[in-house]
Formats: sequence, structure tokens, C-alpha cells
Amino acid sequence: MATCSSSSFISPSSFNNDPTQLPKTLQKGLLLPIRRSNIPLLHIHSNSHLRKQFQSKCSNGYPLNAVHFQDEAEAEAEAKETTISITVVGASGDLAKKKIFPALFALFYEDCLPKHFTVFGYARSKLTDEELRNMISRTLTCRIDKRENCSDKMVQFLQRCFYHSGQYGSEENFLELDRKLKEKEAGRLPNRLFYLSIPPNIFVDAVRCASCCASSATGWTRVIVEKPFGRDSESSGELTRCLKQYLTEDQIFRIDHYLGKELVENLSVLRFSNLVFEPLWSRQYIRNVQLIFSEDFGVEGRGGYFDSYGIIRDIMQNHLLQILALFAMETPVSLDAEDIRNEKVKVLRSMRTLQLDDVVVGQYKGHTKGSKTYPSYTDDPTIPNHSLTATFAAAALFIDNARWDGVPFLMKAGKALHNRRAEIRVQFRHVPGNLYKGKFGMDMDEATNELVIRVQPDEAIYLTINNKIPGLGMRLDRSNLNLLYKARYPREIPDAYERLLLDAMAGERRLFIRSDELDAAWALFTPLLKELEEKKIAPELYPYGSRGPVGEHYLAAKYNIRWGDLTSDDS
Amino acid sequence: MALSFPNYSSSSPSNLPSPSSFKHHQRTTPSSILSSQNSFRHRFLKWVSIQSAKNQNLNAVCMQEATIAALPSNETLKKLKDRSLPFAPPEECGNVVGFSTGKEECTVSITVVGASGDLAKKKIFPALFALYYEDCLPKHFTIFGYARSKMTDAELRNMVSKTLTCRIDKRENCSEKMNQFLKRCFYHSGQYDSEEHFVELDQKLKEHEAGRITNRLFYLSIPPNIFIDVVKCAGLSASSSNGWTRVIIEKPFGRDSESSAALTRGLKQYLEEDQIFRIDHYLGKELVENISVLRFSNLLFEPLWSRQYIRNMQFIFSEDFGTEGRGGYGIIRDIMQNHLLQILALFAMETPVSLDAEDIRNEKVKVLRSMRPLQLENVVIGQYRSHTKNGVTYAGYVDDKMVPKDSLTPTFAAAALFIDNARWDGVPFLMKAGKALHTRRAEIRVQFRHVPGSLYKKSFGKDLDQATNELVIRVQPDEAIYLKINNKVPGLGMRLDRSDLYLHYAARYSKEIPDAYERLLLDAIQGERRLFIRSDELDAAWKLFTPLLKELEEKKITPELYPFGSRGPVRAHYLAEKYNVQWGDLSTEHVHG
Repeated sequence: MATCSSSSFISPSSFNNDPTQLPKTLQKGLLLPIRRSNIPLLHIHSNSHLRKQFQSKCSNGYPLNAVHFQDEAEAEAEAKETTISITVVGASGDLAKKKIFPALFALFYEDCLPKHFTVFGYARSKLTDEELRNMISRTLTCRIDKRENCSDKMVQFLQRCFYHSGQYGSEENFLELDRKLKEKEAGRLPNRLFYLSIPPNIFVDAVRCASCCASSATGWTRVIVEKPFGRDSESSGELTRCLKQYLTEDQIFRIDHYLGKELVENLSVLRFSNLVFEPLWSRQYIRNVQLIFSEDFGVEGRGGYFDSYGIIRDIMQNHLLQILALFAMETPVSLDAEDIRNEKVKVLRSMRTLQLDDVVVGQYKGHTKGSKTYPSYTDDPTIPNHSLTATFAAAALFIDNARWDGVPFLMKAGKALHNRRAEIRVQFRHVPGNLYKGKFGMDMDEATNELVIRVQPDEAIYLTINNKIPGLGMRLDRSNLNLLYKARYPREIPDAYERLLLDAMAGERRLFIRSDELDAAWALFTPLLKELEEKKIAPELYPYGSRGPVGEHYLAAKYNIRWGDLTSDDS
Repeated sequence: MALSFPNYSSSSPSNLPSPSSFKHHQRTTPSSILSSQNSFRHRFLKWVSIQSAKNQNLNAVCMQEATIAALPSNETLKKLKDRSLPFAPPEECGNVVGFSTGKEECTVSITVVGASGDLAKKKIFPALFALYYEDCLPKHFTIFGYARSKMTDAELRNMVSKTLTCRIDKRENCSEKMNQFLKRCFYHSGQYDSEEHFVELDQKLKEHEAGRITNRLFYLSIPPNIFIDVVKCAGLSASSSNGWTRVIIEKPFGRDSESSAALTRGLKQYLEEDQIFRIDHYLGKELVENISVLRFSNLLFEPLWSRQYIRNMQFIFSEDFGTEGRGGYGIIRDIMQNHLLQILALFAMETPVSLDAEDIRNEKVKVLRSMRPLQLENVVIGQYRSHTKNGVTYAGYVDDKMVPKDSLTPTFAAAALFIDNARWDGVPFLMKAGKALHTRRAEIRVQFRHVPGSLYKKSFGKDLDQATNELVIRVQPDEAIYLKINNKVPGLGMRLDRSDLYLHYAARYSKEIPDAYERLLLDAIQGERRLFIRSDELDAAWKLFTPLLKELEEKKITPELYPFGSRGPVRAHYLAEKYNVQWGDLSTEHVHG
């Protein structure tokens, strides 16, 4: 679309053209930390409006098809300008350095940030602005596909970065922050985004201080929180209750960075914009679905957090379950966040709580390969010697609704395995009355179609089909209809954090987790997690770098399934 | 014509036909030596198929089942099938390969009638050599060239050797193999309608057959007006007395219902239905063979295979050269009525009871008989005219010396066809075939319907036609299968785009794909009729086209002229538009690495 310049960034007056416009007074009220449950509906409209602005700006330079925003861009010309202040709380932490600041810079580099914005780092350490900039600059990188002016852009970006040192529970320190923010906002309409990159036990303190002392008086205030969101239904419920003392639901942006991954975003597009998939998307044709996550490294000296959570909480209950819900949901009324999240919650609520029988847990042990020895989980200095924490888990889940009754959804997640990958595999049923049965030998399992969505690494979508081997005679073989992103799309795929930060600024909540979704997710896993802990179920040990405990195969076999990631069909 | 089959243990090496089993056979069907060889065919062919498979890593499946050809009795057929369908372990294949020491061996004599012709030189002899090179021919075989020109065996060999080539993927011993092959080639000069000359041929064949059980295959690579003469002579004077005799004929099979029926009647005076192998070499193309595999061995496609999901299908054939002295028959008869219609029938047929030739051909006939005869208003014809590009002038069709100046013969045609059955009611099947166009290609495109109530409607802009899924099977050149899907363009924001799920044969399969003629010759030797056209299929096909062809000729419909090397007449688009369809081959598609 035409209006890619930063001047098209939204301003209050542009709402005047919108039939669903929000009176300014109402808008103000909405953004204060007051509960007003009847408002969000209106708010959504304004959000989607704002979202459009971002889309047009961040369309990667491709022409947009037939959507116009021109009128708005013109209307705002004389309007009062807005500004966004992004405060990274916990600025000296790892996540901030590795992900948040680089994502912000990438957005700036791509012209996706509004004209006026300020980035503040907030943490307890004493740092000057200069020291913060210095720290940040080391991790900023430029997109591979356009390196021009990168250092110029970096300098410009760093000039917008500031630091404020303070305690996370100190209202006073946040008041100081507020004053500094106001200074930078310079009388423009301020919107404020807080990114809490801090341990969960101080979430609520920071939220309290930010909301009472540093929220925007006239614009919106939003808070991004990262997992863990509690460790079971009760603690998660408690966290949500506390957050809601200071924030309304629509100010809370619970990030699940897997939802920001390119191929997870593409899941709905695949399903709903292609005629060829939706008719197949049910128990009638799908035999099972597999959600697979593996890392090829262990906790590597940073197990403190992990040990108290374990792989089930760390990966399954959030990332894999979210993908499952997106995969299995009914067609939403629209692509609006609330419609999509409504459908996801329905899936979660239709699911059976996990049974211990349907779960396999594992923990990696030391392994020597060649001259190199890999430590076991409990060898790690940050892990107690007798830890029973699972570093691997496999589970079979079921959705008891009309579409999915009886279809096993298998999940598998593990650390210190033989490869690093995340993928979704949809295994289809056998062809009924297959004319070619005689060609497949005994193993009909080898002859079913499979749709694979490889989320990482090396994004790809492929569909395994049966094909005649070229040549005389009639021999069949599996081949892939393949879409390798690297080959098709030469551009670097943006990091999930970029997308999610942009969405949070745009008020697009589709990829963030709503409180009721979170509740429903915990309700599925909490009984199992408690049972594992109460019964002190010992995990099956598997060697570092292996394919994981054998138990996963027995679990799959129980449902007459084979894990798809063990065949050598990858292209 | 019930036949009983001698019992034989399914796969031991000793199951090659022995004379006694033949005697038994002949007793049961005294009337026809020609149809009595089914059991032999099976075993022989099992043996052949095993041979041809021996160099490949078999997935524990041999090709036996392909050999269960048109058999008169379904029960015996079933029995046989039950025995041969379950896979044979590879070791067994290995054992059988070594077997060739039986006392009573059989031999195949392949007589290429019209040996000095172009097709024989370019396709038939090279295909036979390729089969030989791949060890797909039986141990004992003889090739005879038959034509009017006087030639010695050596001269024939000389001529043949010029066109023999070796498969790219195994060139070893090629010249050695070539010499061995050429030693099996002989020539006999004679008139096409002389029984006497065929008696001489018979004598020569017998000499080479050396008392073995003899099977004889005649490949008629001659003009259609002498088909019957040759068949008569071969049938009366040179058919096998104790094995099978089969005749392969090439198009044209008549030029309308009447002439085609007359030809069939003529052939059937001398041959049984199951001796006639009408070749349609498009059915031997790798990706056409794969159509049934795609449809019936994948769960993904069959649920989509109906009017509910498919909006239209397109069958596209184009050549980038003109008729070059070989015009006259017209593109509709030359390409549409046979090649494209055959592919259409394979695409649209119901699931056959089995993969047996008769079951598949029964379903194909049903499709053809459910189709509406072509209407003049659903057809666009064109003829190429001369065109000068960069100083090079390409001659128009009527500039050809062989073509009358006022010829109205179409060199291009597009047509919309309809199948009035429950599965396809209302779905246009578009065909397009032309010469002297801008590309050479043959492909099948299945365009799916719009997504009902699409959530992403807005993301596609105005042209929803650009947003439908499409399955493309590119038959030539550069075999490929791809499915066009909508996909999110990676990056921030939500923009959709069409991408392909792509299978490129050259990248996936390193083997060279065999020529269609190899497959068809092997099938004819094996008695596998799946890819040959049965008389009733041919009748049904002509019925669809004959009224149109007559109308075109009677009304002297003038073809739209199009420049040599262009995309063909513009009216083809109006025809598509009439059914609210867009030709899929005109959209710009990204090139696949």
C-alpha cells in the first residue's frame, strides 16, 4: 500500500473517519487501570483500525492487494501526534538483551515503529544511558537482506534508548520513571508499553507500581508478561487475580513466543484459505496429529528456573498446547482476536485432562560420544542431585468434540535430544479400499499421507504423497510435495518477538493468551502435574543426544501410531 | 470363453510354462489359439517383470499384478490375483532371475511392419533396445523389420544403430549391448498385402524361433489405409501356431465414427479383441500413469474429487513447431479425440473394482458414455499463420507445400466438455491443443473452488480466481506435480500469496524416465492391456467428436488465424470466460529450481 511513511502512524483524529469511533473521553477512561468490562468490544474496533496502520507500514515492501487507508493518512495530517514509550523492565536480563532490544531495533529498521517512540530500560543495576546503549548495541543485528545504513540506523535507534535504575517494587522509583517518560513524550499523546522481563515472583509488584505511578494519563497502557504464568491452576489463577487488580484484561498481553513463529501464524492461513485442506480436517480423514519439540542441548548451567518447572510446564502446557488449539479449533467467525481466542478456549475446554497412563516422562543422563562427555541433567551444578524433574515428556491428548472424537493428539518435547526441531505432523488415515494395497507390502502405516509443518529450523511445509516410481512396472513410493521457505522466500523471516511486540503496540491480541485460555490450559495439566509430583514418578533416563526414552514408542503404539519424526523422509 | 488355468505353485522357479500346460490349455479352448495363452502370458510375464525389476531396490513388491490382464473369466482371474498380489519377497525375485534352463523355452518375435518409417526408426527400435538394455525382454527374442524397400539385414542394422541410444543413468557396456541387440534384428522385404510374402516371413520367423513356443507381436507402423491388408496377411499367414499373436496399431483409428467402426470391423475379421493393441502413447507417459496412483493411493485427493470441490479441469497440449509437411488430419483428431480425451477419462472415472485392464477400461467407457457430444459453440478452432520474429520468418500452415492453400484444417482447438454424471455435473472440462504455439507442453490442471465463507477474503483483493487451489500435473517437459496453496508471506503483517507444494521429478528421481513406447511395448509383450484402447472406448470417443467434426466440415467453419509462436487464438479466452474459468497456463508462475 502506498502509505508506508511514518507520518501515517495513527493519531486520535484519524478515528473521526471511523464509523466505530471511540469518543476521546471514553478512550481515556478505558486506558486507566479501571475495570470496565463493557468496553472491550468497542476497543477491539479501534484496535483493528490501528492494526491496519501497522500492516500498511510493515508490509515488507510488497504491494498490498486492494486495501486502502489513504483517507486516514490524510485526515491525520493536522492532528496531534502520538508517541509510544516502551519500558523494558528487567533491561539487564538475558531475554532483554538477546530478544527484546534486537526485536525493537529490527522493527525500527523496518520502519514499523511510529515516528515518535522512546525505549526505556528499567532495572536495579546502576547504569547510565550510555552504558545501556553500549550493552544493547552489542546484540543488535541487521536483517540479512538489507544491510544498508545499518550503522546509521543503529545510532538513531540507540539515541532513543534511555535507562532508569530502580527497585521493581518501588512506587517512588516508578514515579521518577513516569517523569522521565513525560519529558520524552513532550506533550504528545502518550501510549505506554511495559515489557516485564523479570522473574514471575515480582510480576505483581512491578505491575502495581507501573500502573499506579507510570501509566499513561491520556493514551493506553499495556503490559507484556512472559511465562511462567504460574505453575498450576491455583498459582496461575492467583497471578491473574493479582494482575487484574491493577490491569483490565485487555491491558494484559501474555506472550507465548511460539505463537509468533511464522509457520504457526501460517497454520490458520493454510487451513482457512485453502479449499483442499478444510474438508480433510476432521476425524474422518485425520488419524492423528503430532506436535514435536526438541532441543539438542541440556540446561547447561542455567537450570534453576527449569528445575522447578520441568518440560511439561515449560513447553507442553503453553507452546504445544497453543499450537494444538489453533490447529484443532473450529472456524472462527472472523480473524479478530476475540473470535479466534473464543474458538481456542472451546477446544481447550473440550479436551480430556491428561491421564498419567497417557504420559511418558524422561530425564537425560550423561553420555560419552567419542572423546566428548555430555553431562547428565543432575550433574548440572544448578540442579539438585535427586531431581525428578522431567526434561522429556510425551503425552497423548484427546479432544472430545464432534470433530476430533477419538483422534489422538500426540505431544513430545525434550531437551538434550539428537536434534533441534519443532514441527507439526498430521497423519492421515489409510485409503479405504485401497486399490494399491498390494503395492505397499505389509506396512500400511508407511503408505498414509502426512502433512508436515516444520516450524524450525528451516521452515517448510510438505505433504507426503504416494507416487509411482518413474520407470517401467508399477512400484509406489512416498514423495513430498514440498515448500521450502528458504527456497521460495529469500527474505529472512522475522523473529517471533518482532511480530509480537508489533502486535502489542497495535493492540492486536490474536497471538496473546487470554486469562480464560490460560485457566483452561492449566485445568488440563494440573491434575497430572500434581500426580507426578505426589507419586514421585521417576523419569525414564535417556542418554544425552539420543532420541529420547523408549517409552514414547510404547505410548504411540498404544494408540496404534508411529512417531513421524523417526522416518527418514525429510527433504 | 471360460478358461481354466492349470494350477501351478505360485512362485517357484519351475513355473515357467511347459508344453504340457499348453496342451491342457488348448484342450479347453480349441477354437482359438490366440486367446488360449493367458496362463502362459502370466508366467512369462511374471518372469519378464521380475527380470526388469531386478536391478532396482524393490520395496518387496514385484510387478506380477500388473500382468493380470484381460482375462475372460473373473473367477479364475480372482484366484490368480489372490495368488500373485501379495508381495513376493525380493530373494524370490533373485532366484527367478537366474532361471532359464527349462527345456521348453518360449520366444517372442517382434515384427515391425513399416520398418523404414520414421516412427520405427525414432521410437520403436530405440524402445526395444532400451528394453533389451534393461533386461526387460525375454531371453529369446527376434526382431524383424518388414517393409517394401529392399534391404539386407546388415543394412537394417546399420539404419537402426543410428538411432539407438543408451539410458543416461547406465551407460556401461552400451556398445556391447548394442551389438548383441543388433544381432537379433533381421529384415524381410515384402508387400504389405501379399500373403505370399508373409508366408516367407513366417518361415524366417520359424527358423529363428527354433522350435520354441512362439509368441508374435506385429507392430504396424504404416499408414492406416493398409492396416487391414497387413492384419489379414499376418493373421492368415504369419501368426503363431502355439503361442499368442498380437498386433499393435497406431493412430489414426479412422477419422469419424463410421470409418473407425469400419476399421474395427475389418480388424476383427482377423483378430480377436484381445489381440488388438491400439496404442495411445500418451497413456504411456509417466505422469499419466501416475494419475491413478495419485487419485487412488492417497487419501488426500479422493474426497476432493468431485463437483463439490473441483471447479474445472484443464487439459493442455501445445507444441512450439508447426506441421512441417505432415498436416491434414487436424488437431482435434490428432490430439484431442485421443490423447486428451483418454487422460480426461482416467481423471474422471469412478474408482474401478481393481487395477485390472478390463476394470479400468470399463470405468473409462462409462465416463465417455456419460459425456455430452461436443457442441460447436463450445469449440474454438484456429490455424497458425506465418510470423516474422527477429528476421526469422516462420511459415504459416497453408504455406506448407503439402497443404492446400485454402485449407480450413485447425492446427489449434479449444473445447469445453461436460460429463453428465453425478460426480461431474456442471464441471467444465476444458481442452486446448495447438501447434506452432509459444511453448511445448502437456499438462493437466485441476482448479478447485473458492473457499466458502473465506476468512481471508479481504487479503486476496478483488480477484478471488487467483486465490483458488490448483493441482498441476506437468506431463512434459520436465515432469512435475504441484499443488498451489495460499500461504502467508513470511514477515510482519498478514499478506497472502500463492506458493506451490512441489514435486520436481528431475530433482526427486535421478533415473531417466523411460519413453512411453518402452512401457507400451513391454505391456503389449506382457499382455497388459490397461494402457491400450478397447474397441468400445474408441467408439464412445468418436461418438463425442464425430458430430462436431462433421459440422465443422459441412459449415466450412473458418479457423481463427494466430501467428506462429504465439499463445493461440484469443477466442480461447472467451470460451473459458463463458464458463467463468481462466486458463491456468497463462498465469505467471515462479520457476522452480
